[in-house]
Amino acid sequence: MISYLIRRILQLVPVLLVASIAIWAMLYAVPGGPVAMIVGQDASQEQIDAATRELGLDRPLVVQYGDWVANAVTGDLGKSIFSKEPVVKLIGQRLPATIQLAVFSLLIALVIGIPIAIISALNPGTWIDRVLSSWSALALAVPTFWLGILLVLLFAVELRWLPSASRYVPFWSAPLDAMRNTFLPALTLGVYVSGILARFLRASLVGELRADYVRTARSKGLPERQIVGGHIMRNALIPFVTIVGLMLANFLGGSVVTEVVFTYPGLGRLLVQAISTRDYPLIQGIILVIIVIFMLINLAVDMLYAYIDPRIEHS
Amino acid sequence: MKSTGTNNLSHAVKKPDTDAVLSVRDLTVSFFTNGKQVPVVRAIDLDVFANEVHCIVGESGSGKSVTSLAVTGLLPVTATVSGSIRLNGIEVNKADDETLRNMRGRDVGFIFQDPATTLNPVMRVGRQITEGQVVHGLLAASDAPGRAAELLTEVDIADPQGRVTQYPHQFSGGMRQRAVIAMAMSGRPNLIVADEPTTALDVTVQAQVLSVLLQRQQALGSAIILITHDLGVVAEVADRVSVMYGGSIVESGTVQDIFDHPCHPYTAALLRSVPRIDAGDDRLETIPGQPPTPAELPSGCVFHPRCALGANKARCQTERPQLRGFGSGQMTACHFAEEMQPDRPAPPARAATQTRRADMKPLLEVDDIKVHFPVKKGILQRTVGWVRAVDGVSLRVHPGETVSLVGESGCGKTTFARAIMGLLDVNAGDVRFDGHSIVGLGRRAMRPVRRQMQYVFQDPYSSLNPVLSAADIVAEPMRLHGLFEDMGGDKRIAELFEMVGLSPSMMGKYPHEFSGGQKQRLGIARTLGLKPRLLILDEPVAALDVSIQAQILNLLQDIQRELDLGYLFISHNLSVVRHISDRVAVMYLGKLVEQGACDEIYENAAHPYTLSLLSAAPISNPGMRNQRARIILRGEIPNPASPPSGCRFHPRCFRATDICRAQAPELATQAGLKTTSICHHAGPLDPNEIALASQPKAEQ
Amino acid sequence: MRKSFQSATKTIRNLMTRKGVVFSVFFLGALSFLAIFADLLGFDYLTQNLIASLQPPSAEYWFGTDELGRDILSRVVYGTRTSLVTSAGAVTIAALLGVPIGLIAGFFGGWRDAVLMRVVDVMLALPAILFAMALIAILGKGQMAAMIAVGITGTPSFARITRAQVLSLRNRDFVTAVEAFGGSATYAMFRTILPNSWSPIVVQAIVLASVAILLEAALSFLGMGVAPPTPSWGEMLRTGKSYLYEAPYYAVLPGIILTLTILSFDTIGRAMTDLLEGRHDLGDHTSKDAEPTK
Repeated sequence: MISYLIRRILQLVPVLLVASIAIWAMLYAVPGGPVAMIVGQDASQEQIDAATRELGLDRPLVVQYGDWVANAVTGDLGKSIFSKEPVVKLIGQRLPATIQLAVFSLLIALVIGIPIAIISALNPGTWIDRVLSSWSALALAVPTFWLGILLVLLFAVELRWLPSASRYVPFWSAPLDAMRNTFLPALTLGVYVSGILARFLRASLVGELRADYVRTARSKGLPERQIVGGHIMRNALIPFVTIVGLMLANFLGGSVVTEVVFTYPGLGRLLVQAISTRDYPLIQGIILVIIVIFMLINLAVDMLYAYIDPRIEHS
Repeated sequence: MKSTGTNNLSHAVKKPDTDAVLSVRDLTVSFFTNGKQVPVVRAIDLDVFANEVHCIVGESGSGKSVTSLAVTGLLPVTATVSGSIRLNGIEVNKADDETLRNMRGRDVGFIFQDPATTLNPVMRVGRQITEGQVVHGLLAASDAPGRAAELLTEVDIADPQGRVTQYPHQFSGGMRQRAVIAMAMSGRPNLIVADEPTTALDVTVQAQVLSVLLQRQQALGSAIILITHDLGVVAEVADRVSVMYGGSIVESGTVQDIFDHPCHPYTAALLRSVPRIDAGDDRLETIPGQPPTPAELPSGCVFHPRCALGANKARCQTERPQLRGFGSGQMTACHFAEEMQPDRPAPPARAATQTRRADMKPLLEVDDIKVHFPVKKGILQRTVGWVRAVDGVSLRVHPGETVSLVGESGCGKTTFARAIMGLLDVNAGDVRFDGHSIVGLGRRAMRPVRRQMQYVFQDPYSSLNPVLSAADIVAEPMRLHGLFEDMGGDKRIAELFEMVGLSPSMMGKYPHEFSGGQKQRLGIARTLGLKPRLLILDEPVAALDVSIQAQILNLLQDIQRELDLGYLFISHNLSVVRHISDRVAVMYLGKLVEQGACDEIYENAAHPYTLSLLSAAPISNPGMRNQRARIILRGEIPNPASPPSGCRFHPRCFRATDICRAQAPELATQAGLKTTSICHHAGPLDPNEIALASQPKAEQ
Repeated sequence: MRKSFQSATKTIRNLMTRKGVVFSVFFLGALSFLAIFADLLGFDYLTQNLIASLQPPSAEYWFGTDELGRDILSRVVYGTRTSLVTSAGAVTIAALLGVPIGLIAGFFGGWRDAVLMRVVDVMLALPAILFAMALIAILGKGQMAAMIAVGITGTPSFARITRAQVLSLRNRDFVTAVEAFGGSATYAMFRTILPNSWSPIVVQAIVLASVAILLEAALSFLGMGVAPPTPSWGEMLRTGKSYLYEAPYYAVLPGIILTLTILSFDTIGRAMTDLLEGRHDLGDHTSKDAEPTK
């Protein structure tokens, strides 16, 4: 198991390497390069030369990259051009809000998605299957920003039950208030992902239902309930774990649009702001953090997978 | 479609059918496909008694598997079932789900074909074996692990305590199938249904599994329905046989009667078209055409379009024959069974083994080649070892000669063939074609050789490019060599079609429009375009139905005679190899353990592995069953990445001594032996050895 | 060629037996028709009429008017043009980049596969919208930038699907056969493997079309897509969101068209996937028995 873990971690190294080069190189792809970013587009030659020396841009590219990586590893992602605050601090302020939203959304997605998948897989081809499958199709087709707007229209504008703009309230400080503020964005994201989860789980359940071992289980005289619960679910849930992990990783970075709709103070909105103010160090920092989180979650999922699937040899 | 079977059966079978464990009357099963009901099983009658093995034999599409599922109500809901199925006095067709559920696992046990998929991959084997009994309340959950170990012991699995907590992927194929047998037998059912239980297994493992199955059946006194397409297996294990064709039972009777004097033209023709391991026939008789598909059954007697007896008779084309008594105890569904020739015409004597070959210059010379694949492991994926797939093999093929390479799966025979074709890298040794070394040649240098050396693949379904027309498939090799026009263009294609027995009118069709046998003909036609001198045939008939196999084997022999081709024939089927070969080489774990002239290998083998292989192979002659003792090899083929020390066969060998464990034997022709082998103890089989070799031993 | 034509017509016949697919094709057809002939049909998305700003739907303005008094229906029709053109361009870019990557990675394996797939992994490590935004940050805003960004975002999915297809065909006997006859790697790759890979690639293109429409709308919604005054669905939702109290229809009606468009592509794509995987006929137990036993 340990060697498997080490191998998986080592496999992340090339991915991180490619990712860090791409993110670092972003600055150089911008028109005018990193210098223009500091001194502006219409600076004089002296200003440019001074900034070039000051930023160390006259050194070889490899050294510049090495410098950047070394700083990033020690937690120094530079300073925001716009607010002059350290990038790490800005990200640290927003991350908890995004994590809270992600967890809420995932719970909602699971609560909606799993029952839909099970009911429709066990009644394939019936009207109830068609209705539930349509739900998945619709959940996937409705753009989250439009669904967000509809929910605001209903719950905030018409019914006035919930706020139209969501603040971040930490769950443990005021659970009810946190739920009031997080419910609409979480529902928006949760509905969308419930479609993905339901579709995936239904497909794998239907596939398992046709597996030879199910026929074997029937030939032993097992009751249908035990065949589904003891045999089929076990096989179908193993790949499902992967997809759930992937969705969680996606929530942590992918709730940009929803955060904008509800003016929720998460990482996504910070990125939108950073892009519109061309705050490149901040953009780089956010993207790097999201990629690292994504890889860590994937690593955790792989570990869990190896643990629950007996076919994977972890020696 | 009313059956008259009931009346006839009473005088046809030994016992009144009230004693039958299973009694089926007028069973019809159809599936709703493409907007219409397609009958897959048509009005069959069947009785199975305690203590007997009843084989249902038939080709693909004959309805044999569907019959076995119908018996316990395991068919999918899309099936429509009519008729009567009485199992232990319960009318299966009318029973509710709960009654059926109680019946399964208690009164009837199932063994399915593919042991790789019949077990749940994420549940421990022990639990799977006993959970049925626990559910039925026959076993306390706390006693289950102990009982599971007991059941595994009964099917000869070593270390049953440890195996109980393992998962299926930790079992080898043969062990899995034995675990499935243990599972099927756990409720001491009085009927076992086994659907092609050994088809996915190697011949030595098949022998183990069949022997375990029969041992357990005798201990419990159960009845067995064994579904198979393999007449050898039927001859080895059956008490009674029902032959199915086109959804009907066309003949039934005792195994001896069926093999000695079949009373249906299909059975008779089928028996004649199977190559025999116990005699070398020169030419197989074939059944023309191909088995019907359930959606397009011929009118009248389903067999009439392929029948020599009924081809021109109006009655056969219009009236469907019923199963009726014939002679003493046999039953036939043929209007004209009485007109059949009772005796099988003696096969023409095999032409004297050609001696002209040895003095000719060999076409292909292989000297001590090795093909090793790296095994990567660990954090850095370093190469920690080598799979010695082919480890020093030498071989000669002369023009006009067929040399066969036989061995079980994983022995390296396909790797060997592909390495010769230059499709895999050779690590050591030399391959010469027509005197010139072809090892390590670049693609360009290899091209002229490829013209003369062609490959026929095992699976006709996957070896033809599905988006090309038949004509383009046959033309492709010529086009690749820029010789299409030189070779005669379309005229050449038509010529090739005719040579392999396909109508040139089919040139514009696509592979999916051809049957399996026709696809294999296309595969052969494609290789002939460039006028090769050597064909490498990799299991060319293994994927085909028995009656189609004979057609292709005959075609191969005709072409060889006409074009003086050399054949390197790769196969696991000992009967086919005996039929087609001039010389035979036996391969085990990457090495040739024995080679010699075809008849010498079959009659005077000296290597213990060859002897075991021949002994394990079923013989299509039930009369031989009790006359020959069988060597049941222990274990299965070891992992080629870590072959055993010394002689690679020693852990499974009945002659193994200390020297075998310590020292690898050299290739030698020993005095008085007619074959060449690598063995410290080569020699013919001593009758006393069989008793010694076949003592039941738990697997290592 | 005839085979692909035959199978294409057969596929279409099969697909059209599903009601959802028929509806989707009809809807997308009608939408494309309006978008293509918008000028001839007299749609006008530019003329402002400040007196009639934020009018609810009426006989004259079926979808109402926006804050500048422009006809929302006309803007939806022209927005269709933006949306379809951007997504078609993006899918083309994604296919042109992704298919060769997948072919090379799958066919040659080894270091080429390792390098290309690591790059693909990195691209997949960012949610699509973020990746597109990061590219916009470099490329600047605008329709062309959105098209390129969405296209690059979609590249990994083409690369993966093509690679998977190549891997499944790579060791099939008919590819080995080509090598045994002396065919080159290029021949095997482009003349044998690729012609057998079109179906999943086409299906992927349709699936990706819906993703591209969604992404383009999301970018415009965030103000990073098409620049005003060119109409786009996402931009209309973005503006409409500011007038939720005064004019709820402003954000709702264009959203319905957007949703239906995505739903239509998804329905067609899913039906084709089903067909590809042979799930269209549940009663296939007869064919199972008809398969040869090994």
